[in-house]
This record gives sequence, C-alpha cells and structure tokens, in this order.
Amino acid sequence: MEETFSKEESLALISKMINAAKKEQKDNGIGWIIWGWLLVATSLLTVLDIHYKWFQLGFFWNVFGGIILLYMLFAIIRSLFFKKIEKVKTYTQDLLSKLNAGFFISLMFIIISMNVSNYLLYEKYAVYDVIPINTGFALLINLYAFWILIYGTALNFRPSVIGAYCTWAVGFTALFMKTFEQVMLLHALAVVVGYIIPGHIANHQFKKLHKKGNSTDGV
Amino acid sequence: MEFKELDPILHAPLRLAVISLLLSVKEAEFTFIKEKTNSTAGNLSVQISKLKEAGYIEVTKQFKDNYPLTICKITPKGVDAFENYVKALQSYMHPNS
Repeated sequence: MEETFSKEESLALISKMINAAKKEQKDNGIGWIIWGWLLVATSLLTVLDIHYKWFQLGFFWNVFGGIILLYMLFAIIRSLFFKKIEKVKTYTQDLLSKLNAGFFISLMFIIISMNVSNYLLYEKYAVYDVIPINTGFALLINLYAFWILIYGTALNFRPSVIGAYCTWAVGFTALFMKTFEQVMLLHALAVVVGYIIPGHIANHQFKKLHKKGNSTDGV
Repeated sequence: MEFKELDPILHAPLRLAVISLLLSVKEAEFTFIKEKTNSTAGNLSVQISKLKEAGYIEVTKQFKDNYPLTICKITPKGVDAFENYVKALQSYMHPNS
C-alpha cells in the first residue's frame, strides 16, 4: 500500500524540497575572491610601478591580461574535452552564465576602446595622455558595479547589492581624478567593496549552509 | 465551503518531493534527486515512472563518458498540477479564506 501523509506534512515537505533546491543556487564566492585579489594586486603593483618606475606603465595590466587569456583558454579546453557531469541545472545558473559572457565582451570592448582612443589621440595630435585610460578604468568600475548588482539580485545576496552601489560611487569619483595613480587606488577600493568583501561573506555563508544542510536533506 | 480533492499522483511523499524539487530547478539528474530526497534507487525509479506516465515530468536518458544519465524536468502540466495541489491544500488549511 502506498504511504500517504497529512496536509501539514505535505506543506512542510514542499518547503523543505524548495529550500534544498535553493541551496544549489548559492555561490561559494571563490570566483569573486580570486578575481578581486588579482585586480587589487594589479592595481597596487601599478601604483608602486608609477613610483619606482620598474617597468613601462601598464606592464602589470598586460601580465593580468595574459593570465586572463590563459584562464579563458583553459576554460574553453576544459568545457570542450573535460566537461563535468552536471547533476542539476538551474535557471539562475543559465542567467549568470549569459551575464558572465556579456560581462567579458563588455570588458574587452572597454579595454579595446581605451587603447584605440589612446592610439588615435597620438596619431592626430602626437600626444600621449592618460585621460582615455582614466576614463576607461572609471567605465570598467561602472561595468563591475552593473555585474555585481545583477549577480547579487539573481542570488538574492544583499551584500553584493550594497557592494554594487558602493562600487558605482567609487567609479563615479574616479571619473574626476586627474592622475592614473589616483584612479588605480580607487579601482582597488572599488574591487574590495564590490568583489572581495561580498565574496568572503558569500564564502562564509556557503560553508555554513552546506555544513548545516547535509543533515537536513531527504524526504 | 467546498474542499478540492487532492491529486492522488502528488499526494504521496516521494512523488511530491520530486515535483517540489524539480519545480525549483531547470532540470535534475537522477542521482541528484535521489540524494536530495534520501530515497532508494528502486523506489525513486517507480515514482518517477508514475510522474512521467501522468505527464507531470519529462525523462531523458543519455550517456556521458559511458555513464548512463537520467535527466528529469517538470512539464507545464506538472507545474499546473502542483499549483492546483497547493491551492487544494490551502483550502483545507484555511477553509474560510
């Protein structure tokens, strides 16, 4: 005979299963932390480079770009040849993967436009100025804020939503800075408030949830 | 106050658990459902077949690196049935509303 149950038990079971599924939609924050520290390290090394003149301006950003390109190559190879079996797919994951693709395209768009503007400025007036680069970094901060806001909203993660508005405030301030050094310091600050702090909070919550959650799964 | 009849397909613990889980995700693999519902493979297979026969879920079988994969996904009919089931439950819990 088939097992039946009360109406209260039905509702409790529905709620339990929906909560179990929700756990799959949490981010462990590791990606934000790695990306964040890489950006902060690059910004601060660039500030030190401006002071001590170790290399040409932008050397550390080129290194950063190289690391990202290598990572992208690795990610493409992994997705083509070593794809992991996904036990569950959520609508949030779908949205976030499209958001990530859009983010990287926009990121590349801004980086290329910074370099093209710089080149055209030099071609036309034979001057080299950091204005297009400074504005470009302010726009990059603006892009980070947009990504963080959507990501935070999709995951219903308040620290990211707050972090997004703080990042926008820092990005807006960066628009009025005159030196590249000031912009780099603001860039590092934007990344700390937008990625690193929310990333560590997400990681802490993820660990707590999965530690607690293991004993509550099941019908 | 008229009480709505509870859908017998859904009014069984494991089938209701499977539908509630699938409602919140795009699709899920058999082992994921088994893990989350803490059920046995045999019992889960039987209940998944019943949900499939009722048209509440879609089941796709595929192979990945020689491993069989059973992917389950809720159908629009399954979503409607779940919504009606919850409404019926609410009518029992709050008969005056």
